[in-house]
Parts: sequence; structure tokens; C-alpha cells
Amino acid sequence: MKELVLIAKDFTPIAVEREAQGISRPSLSYWQDAWLRLKTNRRALISLFIVVGLLVFTIAGPWVWTIDPAAQDLDQLSSPPGANRQAIIVTPYLPWSGITADPDPILGQAIGATAEIRLAQPATTQAVRLEWDPVPGATGYRVYRNLYSPEPDGALGLPIGEIYDARRISYEDLLDLRPTRFWYSIVATDDLGQEVAEYTTLVVNVIRVVTVDEAISDGLVGPNVVPKLGDEVFVKLHPLGTDYLGRDMLARLMYGARVSLFIGIIAPLFFVLIGILYGSAAGFIGGRVDQFLMRFADFVVALPFLLFMILFKIAFGIGPGESGIVPMLVALIVLSWPATARLVRGQILQIREEAYIGASQLLGAKTYYLILRHMIPNTLGVILVTITFAVPTVIFVEAFLSFIGMGVAPPTPSWGSMCNEGIQTMLNHPHELIFPALLISITVLAFNLLGDGLRDALDARMRSRE
Amino acid sequence: MNDLKSGTRDALTRTASTQLIWLGLAATIGFAILMGLLYWVSALTGSHTATLDAIDEESGTVTLLLRTEPPQLDSTRATDSVSISVLGHVMEGLLRFDENNQLAPGVAERWEIREDGATFWLRPDARWSDGVPVTAHDFVFAWRTAISPATASEYAFILYPVKNGESINSGNLPVEALGVRAVNNQTLEVEFEQPLAYFEELVAFSTYHPIRESFYHSREGRYGADVDDLLYNGPFEMTLWVHGAHVRLEKNPDYWDRERIRLNVIDMPYFTTDATSALNLFKDGKVAVMDYLGAEQLNEALQQRWQLKRFGDGSVWFLAFNFSPDRVTSNWHLRKALQLITDPSELVNRVIKLPGNLPGESLFPVWLQGVNTFFRQEYPVPKIELNLEAAREHLQIAMEELGLDNPPSIALLVDDSPGAAKQAEYFQNLYGSQLGLEIRIDRQIFKQRLAKMQNQDFDLAVYGWGPDFADPLTFGELFASWNPNNNGRFNNTEYDESVRLAQSSLNPQIRMEAFARQQEILIEEVALIPNYERGRVYITDRRLQGVVRRAVGPDPDYTNAFISSD
Repeated sequence: MKELVLIAKDFTPIAVEREAQGISRPSLSYWQDAWLRLKTNRRALISLFIVVGLLVFTIAGPWVWTIDPAAQDLDQLSSPPGANRQAIIVTPYLPWSGITADPDPILGQAIGATAEIRLAQPATTQAVRLEWDPVPGATGYRVYRNLYSPEPDGALGLPIGEIYDARRISYEDLLDLRPTRFWYSIVATDDLGQEVAEYTTLVVNVIRVVTVDEAISDGLVGPNVVPKLGDEVFVKLHPLGTDYLGRDMLARLMYGARVSLFIGIIAPLFFVLIGILYGSAAGFIGGRVDQFLMRFADFVVALPFLLFMILFKIAFGIGPGESGIVPMLVALIVLSWPATARLVRGQILQIREEAYIGASQLLGAKTYYLILRHMIPNTLGVILVTITFAVPTVIFVEAFLSFIGMGVAPPTPSWGSMCNEGIQTMLNHPHELIFPALLISITVLAFNLLGDGLRDALDARMRSRE
Repeated sequence: MNDLKSGTRDALTRTASTQLIWLGLAATIGFAILMGLLYWVSALTGSHTATLDAIDEESGTVTLLLRTEPPQLDSTRATDSVSISVLGHVMEGLLRFDENNQLAPGVAERWEIREDGATFWLRPDARWSDGVPVTAHDFVFAWRTAISPATASEYAFILYPVKNGESINSGNLPVEALGVRAVNNQTLEVEFEQPLAYFEELVAFSTYHPIRESFYHSREGRYGADVDDLLYNGPFEMTLWVHGAHVRLEKNPDYWDRERIRLNVIDMPYFTTDATSALNLFKDGKVAVMDYLGAEQLNEALQQRWQLKRFGDGSVWFLAFNFSPDRVTSNWHLRKALQLITDPSELVNRVIKLPGNLPGESLFPVWLQGVNTFFRQEYPVPKIELNLEAAREHLQIAMEELGLDNPPSIALLVDDSPGAAKQAEYFQNLYGSQLGLEIRIDRQIFKQRLAKMQNQDFDLAVYGWGPDFADPLTFGELFASWNPNNNGRFNNTEYDESVRLAQSSLNPQIRMEAFARQQEILIEEVALIPNYERGRVYITDRRLQGVVRRAVGPDPDYTNAFISSD
């Protein structure tokens, strides 16, 4: 039989291992939980990425794309994205005195069309110089230009030149020349100054040209390359095209976003902050003070925004041609807080009556602890959602005010003012309207969907679900 | 449990989205059907208007568009082009403009202009639309009414050449002192304030139209306010005026030269300033004329193969300066610097892009007649060479003289039309990038812009001036120190003397030399920077012939128009 040896350790009591409720997953804070829930909401997540992308586009964009948004490229007006940029290097433009001839004065003879039209020089975007054979008996000529052939019904197109001197048999066209094909027609006029029925047409293919100086100053050739006449280069790149004054659309969109997003983020931050302070004060104090404060908020709601915007503009001494952004910001902040204030007051009033507040008070919680620890966190969801819904509204207000000319001063772009400019050229150059309009729509939609997602994610009562 | 829950939820979401898609689809289709129905209903009820053509050869009717309702058909008060155009159809003065824009006899059969006055012999068959003859008394009454300070006509100044006109208008003399007298029913005697070279041009203007005194008083202040409140003596009479909606003119059977008039009805049931809707009306064949096209509509017009025409509307557009001593623009070197870098050709050809505009070189447009041929051919404008270096030097001097360290900031006043905004931004960039000037664009609605100009609340302003009569004086006078429209208060003694000489002299040679001197002074002093002479591109239906466009007088003019059958 084996001897049992006992040591002191054997006499310690056996600990009872009680398997209580085990926390199988790591504990989640309020924010982590909200983030988890937001992550599962695909729409909100994509919107979040879009918002971040927009911020990067706005803040970092101008460092990458360093084109001055106010610089006017008069050689590329209203050019759509992806336009042909080939150009030939030529000598600078020199004025042309034209060609005159003395036609035989044959009177009484029927006036016909000119025998031939020639190009006095190759047709370029600098100038198209036409000369033609004199028409006997003509008192002058009319020059027409078309984008289509005048045949068969004699639609000659744009009346670009009137010549009242019978001896002048040349015309220099400088009007809005683009690298395209033009049909030039010459019609003679009779002694009453009326056009005759016959005409002669010349088809001209215009080529894009730049001068040596332009090629160097615009950096179209390499840094150490000396451009030669006749070299082929590519004119300045505008990825999203240019507007009606040849300004780069991409640069303008980036700078325009600065104005739109600046207003769109600063204004809601401020008026929501004011709204929280005002609303929580009213809600927490309650009684007569609450009544008074909320009636004042009602009064502010009734004030017309546009009128105040104009009044602030005058009060701030904003002269004509100066930016109206600051008065717009002030007017937005001063007039938009009551909505948040009402919302927060309602929440606070509700929370004040909750049982856990009473319990907390019984346990000796001070007022500031109650507000910081219980009231604010429980209203935070509402507040954040208000902000995200306010952002698109404010962006829209800015766009609208710039659209009617109350916002930014030219040449500063903003999406709204760009839309306003683009709408005038909508039919011929749709890209000038589409890009800013698209950006406004995307931004507003993204903020709305994000706000929607945040409302679900931040709702504290949904925390224990799932 | 969790899996099951989320599975159910996924299924629910899927069903919900399917439902949503079906709902959207149904809504779209339903909407389309509704629209189709509405279109069908409107076609049923409005078929008689839908099939109406802009030109009806059988009845001699032409349908047209008016830019706005005529604001004022009282000829003594009318100032705008729409009113003047309508008045040109329903009224006739002593003289009128014919289809070649030459002066032709109107109510006056013949006339005689002397150094101290003029005599007009009225035709006996000129009739008001109620059959009563037009007499010399009607002219005396109309002119007295127009000049009377009680009428407060904006165009009273156009009667100043008639003796005592200015004193009467400023209230110093009674209206009876006006130098016009009816010798008998058929003879009108006019006395001039001073010798006058262009009186024939003036009497064709609408302020000089006749008004019958008895009728004017019978309307009790409503003269010209409605169809029944006007008497007509022109080729047409107004038969319908629905305010804000519709104006119809019909051939006046009492008009003395009725054989000349070939249209029976001019119907104007559309009022719009919107170029796009005007274009659509023309495209649909609802109107026969589109009186001007914007740069944005040219491509469409080319595509539609319309026959485009061009005419110069006579107006000159320029940058006006404020010469008040407290403004930086009163500095000659600053103005010179701007002049040396402004290229009107680039503005016209690259920025405005409308065919028809001519690059501006002078205050006096190319169409003005000189002694023998065009004024500008006889007296060419001194050429200005663009020179950036010189411009910068002038700016430097200007800054020293003004005691500035940095290039000044300048307010540019423009109206709120899209074209004006575009020009303003072009100038802003030009002067900003080349000279470093900060240009603040002050966009105002038309009336506010005029008010600001009159209050001299501007540095630079985009300004246009249209002629009142076809003589260089209508432009030259603009910069005379006493002219209320000289908003920048340009004040030059030699210029004033030269204007007075042109006003009083009867010798064409002396007058044209005076205008040439004015042209030089304006350029030397940089009183303005010419931008362009405005031209208009317009389209008429190919069947409508004989439409006259003109710089001076009623425009557009359909009195000579006719419908050709081919």
C-alpha cells in the first residue's frame, strides 16, 4: 500500500469555477458599434467615399492640376472634352491690306457670279483670306460662310462680310475660326445694293495654328526644344474642355467646389452648434424661459432669407463686384439655427423625464455630468443627422444664389454660377452645364444618403438589436 | 437565429426593390400615356390655331413676334424701339423713310428748308382714320405737347432745334412761344433756333408725328393707351390690342398712298424676349420673322438651312470712363494704358462671336455719310497700335501721379444681359492679367445701370448709343459737356466748340471737319474705348419680301413688305 503524503498545498480549498456569462466578443463602444452598422450599409459607405473623394478633389486637386481657373485660352473657346488638339506652328499674325482691282466698268450688263474664289494664304485659325475674280458691273460683294454645303437650295449661311467698294476683291475672315470645314460663298451686289441670285462657293478646311511665342509660353514643346515653323504640336490640354471664355473646366470645378463645400460645411457646423446650445438651454431650463426662447425661434423662422442676405450684403459694405460669400454665410447661420434648436429641445425635454436621469440624480449626479454623460450622447445621433442633411441644403442654397448672381463675384467660379453660365450655351456646348450640374447632384445625393445611413447607425436604441 | 433573420431581411429587401422597380415603371408609363392624352386633347380643341401658317397669301396676313408689348403709343412720350416701330406703321410724319432708307414725302407733299426755318406744304388727301383731313394744326399741337414740361417727354430735346424749344421745356416760356405756326390748314411754318443742317431727318422721327387736338382732349389723358385711344394716319391701323398678349395691325383704307401697301394684316400674337422661344416659334412656322439671333442659335439656323441676313442697327458700343476728379479713371495715363492693350477685333471675333458686329474704332460708326461718301472713308480714324510695354509705362506714370503703390481697383458697370457679363469677364481678365488691375464687375439690371451712370457711380461702363437721326451730330453731341447723357462728364473746351460749330453750320465741309476733329480729340484724350458697332443677324420666311431694317427710324419696317408666291 502506497503511503499517502500530504503537503500543505493540498489543504487549500478548491476554488469553485463559476462559469458566469462570458463575453464572447470584444466589447463595443458607441462609435465602434455605429461604424460597424454604417459599414454594412452599402449606400452610405459609397456616399462616404464620394464625400471623401470630393474633399480630396477640392483640397488636393489644385495642387495636382495647377491651371489658373481664371486664365482665358481664347484659342480654345467652348471646346468639348476630347477635342482634337493638333496644331501647326506658324509666324505671328500680321495685318493684311487686302487686294483691290479695277474691273472694267461694263454698265447695263447682267451681273453674274465671280469666276473663281481662291485662298490668298493657307486657311488657318488665325485668319482665312479669300480673294476672287472681279465681277463686271458689281458695286460690292457679300461674303457668306456655312458649316454645310449651300447646295441645293442656296442656303449660304452666316453673312460675315459686306463690301461696299467695287474695287475690293478680297475678304479676311477672323470670326470664331475653328479647325473645321467652311463653305465660303461670294455674292455680288447690283447698283441698288441688292444681291444677285448667282453665287460661287469655295470649300475651305481650316487648320489650327499656334505661333512660336505661344508654343513656348504655353509649354507646348519640350523645355529645351526650339520650335520650328511647320512643326506639329498639341495645344494645351483641357481634360473636361473649356467654357465660353476658354477657361479650363476642371480647374474651375475644383475651385468652384472650394466655395460650395466651404459654405456647405462651415455654415451647418455653426448653425447646428448654435441650435444645440439654444435648444438644450431652452429644454433643460424649461418653463417660462423655454416658452420665451422658443417663441423667439419661431420669429426667426419667419424672417425671409433672401431679403436678409441682401441686407447683410449692404450692412457689410460689400460693394458691387465683390464676393457675397461672407454675408451669405452670416445670413445662413443667423437664420437657419431654429430648426436644430427645436429638434434638440424636443429631445432634451424627452430625455429629462427618462427614469435613468432620475436614477442618476438620486445617485448624486451633478447637472454638468447629466448633460455631458446622458443628454448629449443621446441627442448626438439627431445632431449628426441634422448636419449631414443641412450640408446638401446649404450647397443648394449657395448654388441657387450664385445662379441668380447674389453669390460669388466673377471670375471666382462656383458650381452654381457655372451652371448659370452653362445654361446659356446648353444646346451647343452641353459640357459647360453638365459637369457642374452633375457635381452638384452627386454631392447633394451623397450627403443625403450618408445622412440617411448615419441616422440608422447612430440611433442608440438600435444598438442592442441584431 | 441571426442567419435566419438576415436571410428574411434580404428576401424582404429583394421583394421591396422589385416592387419599387415595377412601381417606377408603371408610373413612367402612366405619365407618358397621360401626356399623350393631354396632347391629343389640346390638338383637338386647338386645331384651328395649330394649322395656322405664319404667312397667309390669300388674305395677305403675316404673323410676327414682338419683343415686348409696346410700352407707350403716345408719340410724344415713346422712347423705345418697339413703340417706335409700331408707331412707324400706324402713324406718319411730315416725311418718312422709304424702302431704300431714303427720306420720302409723308404727310408733307413738298417742303423748303431755309437758314432760319422751314415751310411744309401738306397734301390735301392725308386723312386720319376717322376720315378727317390731317392739318398743320395737328402738327403744331403735337409738337407743343411734346415740348411742354407738363408732358415730361424724354425725347423733348429732339425738338430743341425749333425756336424756343429748350426754354419752353425748362419752363421759362409758355408753349405758345414754340417756333411753329399753321399758316393755314395745309401750310406749316417752322422757325429754327439757329441754322440747322439736318431738320429733314428730324421730322421723320416719331416725336414729330401729328396729334389731333380735339381727339387728344377727348381721351382725357388716355391718349395712346388702347386701340380706341389712338387716331391713325399711317399705312396701317391698329384693330386689336390685348395688353400683354396680342397686337393686330390692318391696312388703313384712308391712307393716302394705300396702293403702295401690299400687306393686309400684320398679326402679332406673341410677345417674348426669349431668343430660344422665338427660335422655336420660327421653326414651327408660327412667325415669319425672327428679328435677331444670338450666337448660340447660329448653328441651329445653319442646320435648318435658313437664309440669314445681316443689318447694322446703327448703335456704337464702347467703354465709357468716369472723369470725376475723385476717380482714378480721370487720369489720362491710366486711360491710355487701357487703350493701348484693348483689341476690339479680338472682342468681336473671339468673344462675342456674332457675325454682323464690326470691331469698333471710333465713336462715329462707318455708315454715317460725310460730304461725298462715307464719313469714315473721308476722315479715317487715327490708328492705335497695341503696345503692352507702352501700356505698362503709362500705368506706372499713372500710379505715380495718383500716389498709388499698387495698380488701382476699378469698378466696371455692366447690365445683366449674358452678353454683357461675358464681355465684362473678358475685360476683367485682359486688364487683370496684362496690367495687374483689379476689375470689379458691377452687374445691374438695365434701369439700375442707367441710374448708376446718371449718378456717376462707376469708373468704367459698357455703354451703347443708338442714333436718333442720320447725322454724325447724334454721336458727336454725346460727349459735349452740357449733354445729360455724357455720364462720365467728359469736359473739353475745344470739343465743345467743335460741337457748337457742327450744330450751327450749314456747310457740310466745315461740319465734317468739325466731326473729324471731335473724333481725333476723343482718341487723343481717350474719352472712350470703342468696342463694336452692333450688327444683327435675322431671318425672314423666304416668301416674305421687302422687310426693311434700318439704323434710324422705325425698325423693323413691314410697310413695304409683300408676299411672293414662289
